[in-house]
Amino acid sequence: GLLLAALLVSHMLLTKEGVTSLPICPNGSVNCQLSLEELFDRAVKLSHYIHFLSSEMFNEFDERYAQGRGFIAKAVNSCHTATLTTPEDKEQAQQIHHEDLLNLILGVLRSWNDPLIHLASEVQRIKEAPETILWKAVEIEEQNKRLLEGMEKIVGRVHSGEVENDIYTPWDGLPSLQLADEDSRLFAFYNLLHCLRRDSHKIDNYLKVLKCRLIHDNNC
Amino acid sequence: DFLQSPQISKCRSPEMETFSCFWTAGNFYNLTVPRVLQLLYKKSNEEDWKECPDYITSGQNSCYFNASYTSVWTPYCVQLASKNEVYDKKCFSVDEIVLPDPPVHLNWTLLNTSQTGIHGDIQVRWDPPPTADVRKGWITLEYELQYKEVNETKWKELKPRLSTMVPLYSLKTARDYEIRIRSRQRTSEKFGEFSEILYVSFSQIGIGCDHCTEEVEFPWFLVLVFGVCGLAVTVISIMLSKQPRLKMLIFPPVPVPKIKGIDPDLLKKGRLDEVNSILACHDNYKTQLYSDDLWVEFIELDIEDPDEKNRASDTDRLLSEDHLKSHSSLGAKDDDSGRASCCEPDIPETDFSASDTCDATCDSDQFKKAAEKDLLCLDRQDNDESLPSLANTDPQRQHRNTQPENSHLWAPFGDSVESPRPSVHTQISNQNSLASTDFYAQVSDITPAGRVVLSPGQKSKLGRAQREGCTEQNFTMDNTYFCEADVKKCIAVTSHEENEPPVQEQGYNEDGYFTTESLTTTVANLGASTAAPPSSEMPVTDYTSIHIVQSPQGLVLNATALPVPDKEFNMSCGYVSTDQLNKIMP
Repeated sequence: GLLLAALLVSHMLLTKEGVTSLPICPNGSVNCQLSLEELFDRAVKLSHYIHFLSSEMFNEFDERYAQGRGFIAKAVNSCHTATLTTPEDKEQAQQIHHEDLLNLILGVLRSWNDPLIHLASEVQRIKEAPETILWKAVEIEEQNKRLLEGMEKIVGRVHSGEVENDIYTPWDGLPSLQLADEDSRLFAFYNLLHCLRRDSHKIDNYLKVLKCRLIHDNNC
Repeated sequence: DFLQSPQISKCRSPEMETFSCFWTAGNFYNLTVPRVLQLLYKKSNEEDWKECPDYITSGQNSCYFNASYTSVWTPYCVQLASKNEVYDKKCFSVDEIVLPDPPVHLNWTLLNTSQTGIHGDIQVRWDPPPTADVRKGWITLEYELQYKEVNETKWKELKPRLSTMVPLYSLKTARDYEIRIRSRQRTSEKFGEFSEILYVSFSQIGIGCDHCTEEVEFPWFLVLVFGVCGLAVTVISIMLSKQPRLKMLIFPPVPVPKIKGIDPDLLKKGRLDEVNSILACHDNYKTQLYSDDLWVEFIELDIEDPDEKNRASDTDRLLSEDHLKSHSSLGAKDDDSGRASCCEPDIPETDFSASDTCDATCDSDQFKKAAEKDLLCLDRQDNDESLPSLANTDPQRQHRNTQPENSHLWAPFGDSVESPRPSVHTQISNQNSLASTDFYAQVSDITPAGRVVLSPGQKSKLGRAQREGCTEQNFTMDNTYFCEADVKKCIAVTSHEENEPPVQEQGYNEDGYFTTESLTTTVANLGASTAAPPSSEMPVTDYTSIHIVQSPQGLVLNATALPVPDKEFNMSCGYVSTDQLNKIMP
């Protein structure tokens, strides 16, 4: 009975949608060396999953709360990560050095750490928030941490020199998520989710470009 | 026909490197000044609206932004305006409007055919749209394939997949098929346009099966018809069969009601006289019921001689292991008599009050006496004397214990009604021999297993001198018994002289009076060390151990060291009345 329950729980934990378990190198194992290809594979899977969740979450939020409030018209918003200069088209993405791009990815991920934590907690205070949105917020926050860890591993492998840790944008949007006026508060959530979708797409794209460049020699 | 103002129909980027916006001009035919529509755009961080850089490349009523004007994750706003008026406005970012071009270079190859040649498998391959830079990973595409027979109307869809080839199984070689594919950016919802249609014809490669047009389909209809017939035949045969067992198995008989009542027809017909007569015979009905009904048992009254019963049967039964498990009450019979369900012995109410009077009598005076000290105020009885009556609550007299040579049983001063009867008898080590001699014993120890070890009064005297110190202690007057703490102190002072099991912190000696609670806790808390059976150590044969504890007031004493099941002493006052004991013992 107990064994069966343990097996079921471990199966549930391991088979997340889009993220399969790769038991070759369990977490925390010091001596195990994953190949760079493996690391990139996992990172891309994670980034894709995060973007997928963000997309869905944004769509659900849009459907549920944004209709009729005219959010779309106002949403020429600026995200808190806009201060980071990231490649905005293919040319720039191909010209940037892979180490710099990796650092940028790390910077964006770190900058989202804080907002995601608060998103997960504040979204629960939305009146009658659907369970799916709540669950996704928590899941994204978790996966983001994992991706950050993975990226740090990759950076450790790829970097020749010192690792720069100073790419980071602080987030000061917490008060807007806690506004008393429901409309303003929901608009703040809308913006945050919109930014999350965009930035997760960015990260996903950069990682795929890097993977094709470093692992497959531009021949994916 | 109503006026339609110019509108931006859509903005689209095929590869996330360029994008185009398309609009409709509307039908403002009546304007004198020909309308010149402009598309203005603005990036989010800019102030000014700029004009479209290329009105031509994407066709009429379009605006094309090439790679140098395109920033992917930057919010744009475009607006359709003429000189004075803004007709439409749209805001977006390029990553949101990606709609890839269709795949190209569709082809198919034969994988294999079935043995009969009727079906075949093919593999379809294609290339990603040339505009999409999949090789550098700038965009990741998903493909959806649809196919159908040539003369069908509905397309069959396959699940979107990342690879650029897919097998199609079990296509009929006699038919021709059409295939089309479309793509979308992964994690987008919208697909781009369909590719050109690919035609699949097996006859072209010489596999077409001309004489295979007749298809062997599974004869569902026949199966159904035959199945229903077979089932009907089976059912009918069962119903008609002479085998009652089979019949009962499949068609169990519906039980008819057994309750005799009034025929409702009588009520309907209004025959009240007859109804009345029936109702008057209610008694008759009752007896009838009893005689007919098998499920009612009469409660059997026990009118046998209690002594005889107790002597012969109960104790035996109590002392044997079987009765430990059964719901043996003192009066239990093996048959289903009414008393079987009652687990309490037939004890008159007065027995309980005996325990109350114990409170009055078990005061500290007793302790001051060097004479016997019984546990739980047990030494009132004098085996030579008659049992003290309940009415006689003179403690002093009751405490008068002549020290017999016999051991004291910790029997409560129970009923005086049955005073001539001997009090609790101990049993000699021979389990089944019921001692007829009267003697008392004192509880000398309670083993971890829950057995109360009794020792004869004589022996207890030996150590009494040493225990004098105990007796001088103050005991609470209101509580007839020692507090457990006091007992512990008492025990700590003294030591076991006799060959008794080693004293534990909560071990008992015969000096102590114990509250029921203390007894209970002690029994429950006794440590691991089990006491050796006292009978093996004690030279005197009349040791007993508690064999069974009958809830709530029973104790059966057994001379031998039988393993006592873990039962707690949950008696009201911790001892049985004489009467109860008399019922237990001979």
